[in-house]
Amino acid sequence: MSVVADSRRLVLERIRAATGKSAPERGANADAGLAQGYIRRGELTVRARHERFIERLREYDAEVVECSPEGLPSTIAAVLAASGRRRFVAPPGIPAAWYVEAAWKIEGFECVLDHGLETSEIEQAEGVITGCFCGIAGSGTIVLHHSACEGRRVITLLPDWHLCVVRASQVVETLPEYFEKSREQAAGKEQKVELPRLVTWISGPSATADIEMTRIKGVHGPRFLNVILVRDREQAAGNREQKAGTEGLEDRAQGQ
Amino acid sequence: MSATAEHPILDPAKAQPFPVAALPVLKNSQLRKNVAHAIDVIGAKRTRVVLEKTDWQALRASASRIKDEALGNLAAYLEQFEERCTAAGGQVHWAADAADARRIILELLRAEGADEVINIKTMTSGEIQLNPFLEAAGIKAYETDLAEIILQLGEGEPSHIVVPALHVNRGQVRDIFARAMGIPNLCDEPEALTAAARSYLRQKFLTVPAAISGANFLIAETGAVAIVESEGNGRMCLTLPRTMITLVGIEKVLPRFEDLEVMLQLLARSATGERMSPYTSLWTGVTPGDGPQKFHVVLLDNGRSGILRRPKERQTLRCIRCGACMNNCPVYRQTGGHAYGSVYPGPIGAILTPQLEQLKHAQSLPYASSLCGACYEVCPVRINIPEILIDLRAQVTDQERGTAKKFFDPMYVGLRGANVIFARPWLFHAAQWLGRVGLKFFTRKDGWIHALPGVGAKWTETRDLRGLPRQTFHEWWAERAADPSHLSRKDKDAAKVGHPQVSESLGRPGAGAESDEQRADSLILPGKGAK
Repeated sequence: MSVVADSRRLVLERIRAATGKSAPERGANADAGLAQGYIRRGELTVRARHERFIERLREYDAEVVECSPEGLPSTIAAVLAASGRRRFVAPPGIPAAWYVEAAWKIEGFECVLDHGLETSEIEQAEGVITGCFCGIAGSGTIVLHHSACEGRRVITLLPDWHLCVVRASQVVETLPEYFEKSREQAAGKEQKVELPRLVTWISGPSATADIEMTRIKGVHGPRFLNVILVRDREQAAGNREQKAGTEGLEDRAQGQ
Repeated sequence: MSATAEHPILDPAKAQPFPVAALPVLKNSQLRKNVAHAIDVIGAKRTRVVLEKTDWQALRASASRIKDEALGNLAAYLEQFEERCTAAGGQVHWAADAADARRIILELLRAEGADEVINIKTMTSGEIQLNPFLEAAGIKAYETDLAEIILQLGEGEPSHIVVPALHVNRGQVRDIFARAMGIPNLCDEPEALTAAARSYLRQKFLTVPAAISGANFLIAETGAVAIVESEGNGRMCLTLPRTMITLVGIEKVLPRFEDLEVMLQLLARSATGERMSPYTSLWTGVTPGDGPQKFHVVLLDNGRSGILRRPKERQTLRCIRCGACMNNCPVYRQTGGHAYGSVYPGPIGAILTPQLEQLKHAQSLPYASSLCGACYEVCPVRINIPEILIDLRAQVTDQERGTAKKFFDPMYVGLRGANVIFARPWLFHAAQWLGRVGLKFFTRKDGWIHALPGVGAKWTETRDLRGLPRQTFHEWWAERAADPSHLSRKDKDAAKVGHPQVSESLGRPGAGAESDEQRADSLILPGKGAK
């Protein structure tokens, strides 16, 4: 134990001797002016933002379909049926409407909700259905905070096929907008700062280019990533405004 | 491995000097072809996604400021990280050196009762030579990154920090997998090879009780750890085992959660030419019901605090290990990574390794560069690598000069001699005369020296040397003044005025700017006269 404490003291002493600051000096001025000059806010119209999201997802081999909020259950059912898979797993927090229609339409369909499933049970599943916290258009990324609707990390990892439902209003254009959104959400809670404890940014299916730089889909994570983009309120609003000739910033203000 | 003539040694204490270690690679054309192909592919992808970022330079500037802030207050940020990570259920350990870190990790694995462990690409464990150490203690470590599996099964060594097996081609991978996994009829399609690796490792992921990972970033504000990867082996390692150990250099800490918005935009683009890597994971301590329930972070110093001391060298620790510097290095392109004798190859290795070794080893690395500056140009955190290389060269020279072994080294003898000669004009003139007489013997009719004996051969082996002119500048000038017949009238006037001052100024170092100007004038005039 004493050896451990010694190493800690030794390392900290060496660092302080080298940086020339003995007292913890942090806070106020630490953040100011460090990160600046780069693009934080996107400038695309709502529609263009969604188009870019779809385009960038497809560029990295994800399958994307769009649907209206009312059409979501049947779209999910169609995508699940087309996958040729039958055994699915899903986080406990997803709306029942997401899988009821599929259960009705697809013969042999099975969707197990993850109330603390064993790893071996999850391993048996052929696919997984989740929601997400956010989509990032600029890089074609979906972000999971692993809430009740997004599931434990393991369920989006072991099954070979992942279907993620993204509402259009969840899509931001830039990565900094995602961080802003996380911080805002945190500030909304009772505790002053509660940033996400778990985050997984997913950009396309698992991939490698380790053999002769040939991009191969699917090494250990899911080999297939499917995204359903639900045109919810924001997008409808966006479309109307576009028709009226309004663009850019106002669009986004409207959206958030 | 068949890819290299000799088995490379990635331990700076045992590795051969760079020029010696580079030789087998330079003779291996297959290896050089593999390396060039790989870095060309990444380079083209990188260029495309970097060009679409109109704010790239602002991101680079922000990233270097963030890292400088973190390094300038490193102790405080590490303590903050320790406090927050501990509060979230993690346990933080401090390792002053490699032996410390190995001991801590072994104790943790013994406490877990693990005789197997899975690794997600961790350069730090390569740095502290962890795998052989664990093996000796009866714990088998399985690499899980596709490239690392290739290297582990083929008993090879990594040669790049992002694509460690870029020097191995598909045929070689097929042979390694067919032998080690017992699949004799495996074909050499990358898809088939990747699928073989997937099924080979799946069972390990599901059964091995402990994992060791590296980390790309630590967040002081929240105590979180972030890993950027492509294959999902990282997610497996940090989700499935009971115990997770993250071994990470102390320089990896960032002040705030939002700092990731800068780093993540730069890292994947610079490393693999993607906008984001397929998987970026962030976790904070232990989450009940999700992932390992025991989580340890081992903060590794191992020479890093020493690098903090000099402000110029401190930049080295900004590195986010993207590998862009090696992909753009003309030296790395020819030699590949093994010649650098460390897990950190390329330009960043050339400055990092000697410093981590406190210049006790790897003194040849600061010279493994043409100083072209491409590495600085592409570095996402703006590490001025050429500047540090030059500084390290000075340090190596200072260190060597004092040693008995180097006292009779021809270079140092020569430099000491030059010191004496250059301080005395008469000696300098005598040396010039001697040189002219001596070198005449080696100068061919075309005016060039093609081969020199002894030390001089080091130069003429790779390039020709211009023979010394018949006259020195001093002689030519004096002769010209004594016989002005070749000048036009105007030039003669100028020469009369300019010459006395000029010859004086040339003879005296540090002569005034005024006479320098006049010298410049008078040097231009003859050309005008010739028109």
